[in-house]
Amino acid sequence: MNAEAAAVTLLGLGYLVVLFAVATAVERHWVPAGWSRSPLVGILALGVYANAWALAGSIGVAWQWGYGYLAYSLGAAGSFLLAPVLLVPLQRLARTHQLSSLADLFAFRFRSRWVGTSVTLLSLTAAMPLVAMQAQAMGQAIQHVTAAAPAWLLSLCFCAIITLFAILFGARHTHAHRRYDGLTAAMAVESLIKLAAFLALGAYALYAIFSGPGELEQWLSGPAADLQQAHQLDAAQWRTLLLLFFGSALLMPHMFHISFARPLSRRTLLAAGWGVPLLLLLLALPVPLILWGAQRLGVADSAQTATYAIFALSTSPSVLAIAFIALLAATCGTLILTALALAGMMLNHLALIAHPPVEQPDLYRRLRWLRRALIATVILAGWGFSQAVDASTELTRLGLVSVIGMAQCLPGLLALLYWPGANRKGVMTGLGLGTLVWCLGLWLPLITPLPPLLAPLDLLLSLLGSDSLAPLPDWYQVSLTSLGLNALSLILVSLASSTSPQERAAAEACSVDAVIRHKRLPLSIADGDDAKKRLASALGEDVAEREVNQALASLRLSANDARPYALRRLRERIQANLSGLMGPSIAQDIVDHYLPYRHDGPPAREDIHFVEHRLEAYRSRLTGMARELDELRRHHRHMLARLPVGLCAFGDDDEILMWNDALSELTGIAGEEVIGAHRAALPTPWNTLLGDVLAGQRERVYHHAMTLPQGERYISLLRARLDTEAPADSAGGTVILVEDHSEMKWLENELIHAARLASIGQMSAGVAHEIGNPITGISSLAQNLRYDTSDPHVLETAQQIQVLTERVSRIVGSLVGFAHGGRHVGGNAFTTVSARQLADQALHLLRLSRPDATLAHANRCAPHVEVYGDQQRLLQVLVNLLTNACDACPTTDSIFIDAGQGEEGPWLSVTDAGPGIDPKIRARLFEPFATTKPPGQGTGLGLALVVSIVAEHDGKVEVISPLPGQARGTRIQVWLCSPVVHRSAQDAAPHEPNPDR
Amino acid sequence: MYVYRVMLLLVFCGYLLSPLLMTGWGQQGSAWYRPFLIWGVLIALTLWLEQKRALDER
Repeated sequence: MNAEAAAVTLLGLGYLVVLFAVATAVERHWVPAGWSRSPLVGILALGVYANAWALAGSIGVAWQWGYGYLAYSLGAAGSFLLAPVLLVPLQRLARTHQLSSLADLFAFRFRSRWVGTSVTLLSLTAAMPLVAMQAQAMGQAIQHVTAAAPAWLLSLCFCAIITLFAILFGARHTHAHRRYDGLTAAMAVESLIKLAAFLALGAYALYAIFSGPGELEQWLSGPAADLQQAHQLDAAQWRTLLLLFFGSALLMPHMFHISFARPLSRRTLLAAGWGVPLLLLLLALPVPLILWGAQRLGVADSAQTATYAIFALSTSPSVLAIAFIALLAATCGTLILTALALAGMMLNHLALIAHPPVEQPDLYRRLRWLRRALIATVILAGWGFSQAVDASTELTRLGLVSVIGMAQCLPGLLALLYWPGANRKGVMTGLGLGTLVWCLGLWLPLITPLPPLLAPLDLLLSLLGSDSLAPLPDWYQVSLTSLGLNALSLILVSLASSTSPQERAAAEACSVDAVIRHKRLPLSIADGDDAKKRLASALGEDVAEREVNQALASLRLSANDARPYALRRLRERIQANLSGLMGPSIAQDIVDHYLPYRHDGPPAREDIHFVEHRLEAYRSRLTGMARELDELRRHHRHMLARLPVGLCAFGDDDEILMWNDALSELTGIAGEEVIGAHRAALPTPWNTLLGDVLAGQRERVYHHAMTLPQGERYISLLRARLDTEAPADSAGGTVILVEDHSEMKWLENELIHAARLASIGQMSAGVAHEIGNPITGISSLAQNLRYDTSDPHVLETAQQIQVLTERVSRIVGSLVGFAHGGRHVGGNAFTTVSARQLADQALHLLRLSRPDATLAHANRCAPHVEVYGDQQRLLQVLVNLLTNACDACPTTDSIFIDAGQGEEGPWLSVTDAGPGIDPKIRARLFEPFATTKPPGQGTGLGLALVVSIVAEHDGKVEVISPLPGQARGTRIQVWLCSPVVHRSAQDAAPHEPNPDR
Repeated sequence: MYVYRVMLLLVFCGYLLSPLLMTGWGQQGSAWYRPFLIWGVLIALTLWLEQKRALDER
């Protein structure tokens, strides 16, 4: 090895060491993840598109076609400009279904392993000239720098180092979609190096050869006029080139790999819309400068010599080293990523299809080593192909053959995104015909001395009266013919043949504009653990456990979650993860066989919950009318969720689709726990009750008694079917309103009871009236007896008779008064009432209902205290307060009624020595039905009535519990109006009760 | 979505009119960097549309 060769080897190795260092630093998190995953790094990594063509081939093309060389960059820039409509949907598909290559994407969309295998074979065939182009460029670079014949051993060593790098930083994980930040960062650094080096070469040409822009302009307008012999590219050929490079930015294996298989964020891809075109512009800018510099030096007199003009600008070792590094950076990334991409495709669509990995021990290890072996195979095959290709073949020809080959996937790719009608037969026919023409017309002639195989076509065209293709370049002929045949046969065969339901479903999943209708199909598995057991027979226990756990973790589900919705999501995620591991075809086979859907239920309907879930996730991406519609959807959903009545919706298969907040509160079952579950999975008694309503046995259920955690409740249910007249617009199912009618039921019971009491009251009044007459007679007779006798014993007896008859009269009077009172009579019945008398009457009435109560010293009201109000209603207030006090106190001798005159007016209070008011109920103390008494002993209306009556009297109620300085006891103090104050107020304005007080 | 339509229209028009870029290679009277200027304007327009879209989606 001479000194130059050693220097080149050292330079190459040094460069690769830098790449290793960058990748290692990122992989080991020595560099912050925020930097390594930034859009800038992603954009620079996408600069891997600029391979040997961009840095060497472009100069040759510029010599030949002038600005025609821009087709390479502008075509790709077009692809990235359309990132929102082209790259982002593809990335979404690749990420959702874990598709790591074009073959995966085609196999997934067209539900055919043959399509996947065909795309793999085509990619492999088309990538060989690309790999050969890089190898040839490097060989020429070594030859130019060392001025010696390219050593095959040196290039083989170079390939071996590239293989090692690809294996170390690109194939350490088994899942294709795992993060490879190190590799991405290395690609970004490569782009940065080649950009800097190429710009430096351009600047050298401009300032070292031309002494600046002024001299360049003079040279261009003067002596160089004759040198500019570039032929302008025909407009049609230019457009064809643009289209080919437009496709190549998406379809070339290394580009698909870096754009979609690597986890570039959506933000990065959108930023790439302007970032990559800018990068390509900067890389295209030095091309004319270098060419003109070389022309001025007289070292670019043909396309072939112009191609390697970067090595002819100067004999300075530093300029040569910069040129060498620029080309090395351009070729390395392409080789590494092409090898990784093709190895993945070959693994999923050739190796695993030929030998399915079912029941293989240590599956992960096997797949890892298989991938590594395939990487080495691809690079070795590429090197072998480069040796087989004639050394005089132009660099750009190799690139064009490769690009035209991969362009055969363009019609299929566009159909995949934008035409759900395309099917596998159409794609296979299109791919087959297009590939055949390309292979015979361009690929085979690279390695074999075959005659031009397009001659029969040319003859046919001339017979048909069309222009002959002969004067046109062969790449143009082959491009037009192969792509034309491909697209035409894809359309015609797809239209003429039938499409399977699976293919249609996949088409909906892939199509950009189609509405994706996820179906609610029931699964045969019971839960996550069951899925592990079933998959264990295919993948082995360890792998099955790991895959299911990984899927569960990413979905944040538990292994015991048996909701059909959760199981469907789990199945999809497992399939996607297995697709990343073994490709979509094998993944589909495994889940179809081991985690199958059941087809014994009702026809599958749309999975509304999933649609909502997805809309929520993608909300920020909706714009315009879609955004407005989504706002409307959220508004309606919010209304249903916050409806103060319980609401749940069920699918035809009894799967719960909605469970609103009010129902969660009533049932104590959170919506997130049951949405997506089957109705039977609900806790008792809701499962049976809702089941009865759903089954149609009872369309309306009124006041159904249920024992819930909050006690005995009365529930009413109303059902409505969601079917519409147009079945296509209907998602089917049933909606059920669930209302808690307990309070209404209690009120109803209370009304019945009150009506019964009222009738007893009326009877009591009649009875009292009837008793009153004889009592009056007895009292008169006793009076007469007193007048007629002077016998002290008889007189005492007569007096006792009179006292007792007065007592009976008082009782009768109280009963009649209480029976006639009670109704609201407004201010008309307001009178001045003595507080002490009022308390006596209340105690008197209470003794009738509680004969055992000891309330002898309860009345502590001062005799002078008077209040203004409706006597009977105030009596009701005291009776209710005393009843509560008696219920609260074990001994009634500690209940007292007090009255007094405060600054605000007179007050009455009832004090007991009970345990005090429970703080839990204190806030709701005056609400109707708020009670702490056992069921059947209290209605919870007593205090509510007190507040209502006191409010009618412009008074207020104050609760003191516990009593000051004590741990127990309650005092309810009622503030009322003084007769004097009320009279003066009445003089000022008519009486108007203030219910708010 | 309107932004995407503008982008599609832009790219399609660019595709149809792009042969015009090829004129002026080494010709007197036209700056050699003219195609790059046009390309730069296109990139600036894309950047503007992208920022508008990002604002719209925020």
